[in-house]
Amino acid sequence: MPKIAPGSLEPGMKTAKPVVNTSGMVLLGENTELTPELIDRIRNMEVDGVWIQGLSKPSVPMEEVVAELDRRFRLVGGQPHMDIIRKAVQRHIEGLYE
Amino acid sequence: MNSMDVRAVREKIEHINALPTIPKVLNRLLALIENPRVSLNEISNFISSDPALTTKVLRMVNSPVYGFPGRISSVNQAVILLGLTVVKGLLLGVSVFELMQKTMIGLWEHSIGTALFSRIIAVRAGHKEPDEVSVDGLLHDIGKVFLVLQFPSEYQRALTQTKEDGIIIHEAEKNHFSTTHASVGSWMARKWRFPAKLIDVIEYHHKPHLTKSTAVESAIVHIADILVRARGFGFPGDDLMTPVQPEAWDLLKLTERDILEILEEAEDSLQATEDLTL
Repeated sequence: MPKIAPGSLEPGMKTAKPVVNTSGMVLLGENTELTPELIDRIRNMEVDGVWIQGLSKPSVPMEEVVAELDRRFRLVGGQPHMDIIRKAVQRHIEGLYE
Repeated sequence: MNSMDVRAVREKIEHINALPTIPKVLNRLLALIENPRVSLNEISNFISSDPALTTKVLRMVNSPVYGFPGRISSVNQAVILLGLTVVKGLLLGVSVFELMQKTMIGLWEHSIGTALFSRIIAVRAGHKEPDEVSVDGLLHDIGKVFLVLQFPSEYQRALTQTKEDGIIIHEAEKNHFSTTHASVGSWMARKWRFPAKLIDVIEYHHKPHLTKSTAVESAIVHIADILVRARGFGFPGDDLMTPVQPEAWDLLKLTERDILEILEEAEDSLQATEDLTL
């Protein structure tokens, strides 16, 4: 469930959480389908982002992210606790791409 | 390479408020929170008298890092719900935000990520004050900001050394300053009369097994720091993992399952904090 900046909203997207402005006032309920008019209205209010239903896949390819992970962990390979953390993070990252 | 004398470093760091780059509002804030008897009302009035600061504080308390997403609409309400200790810490956090953004790209993201993970781990560990632990996480690296501000070219050399020699920033700092951001942060936290626990966590977040008074909090921030690095969120000065202290790990009784659940719980909020610019 990604949070999207008002500038990137498109008609047809559905809100996953209520839309609130920066002072906490609720402008739209959850599960609302966005129309061009609603998007205009959101853009004119002080809203920093809108939670949208559905998962957006991360933009960087998974192989690259895992390679980065290997690089970050290169000094601590073979240390039991760090191996556990490394494994959990890799499983978590793979989960983001499912 | 010549390492600086630690007393000379401390002398300069402790006069950081004389730097022209320190925003006026930060100096006024520090004068206020240095007073141990400052009241909730005074803090509240101080924030409310500055519209820019008010917006920043409200954004922060309504962010997923704290437990009231989108529900706090006034400074008074924030101060009452979160309490004096948390609000003082938050205020300092949002006030150094711009300095962080200017001095070290990614340090703000690292700090806010650590705040978020600290809170999640604290809640899971049954800690009574998860929001306070979250502030510990938010401010744990504040010493880096002071070092960069006071010694910009030397710190740049330390950063370069992490890349060239493949060492962590903590080690590079020792090589250049004979001390680390953890000590520097704690000197200032003590000078500004921060809560004793916060001072201790800042000092011990890399060696949580050595603290006598904040074993749990230091362990939480230590692990949160490592998880944010492991997740690849933000930039704390290097991109290398350092070992977790076994004592901290055992104290929190963590398993692979726990780590996975903590990462999952943090994920949505991490994505939301990515555009949390104040």
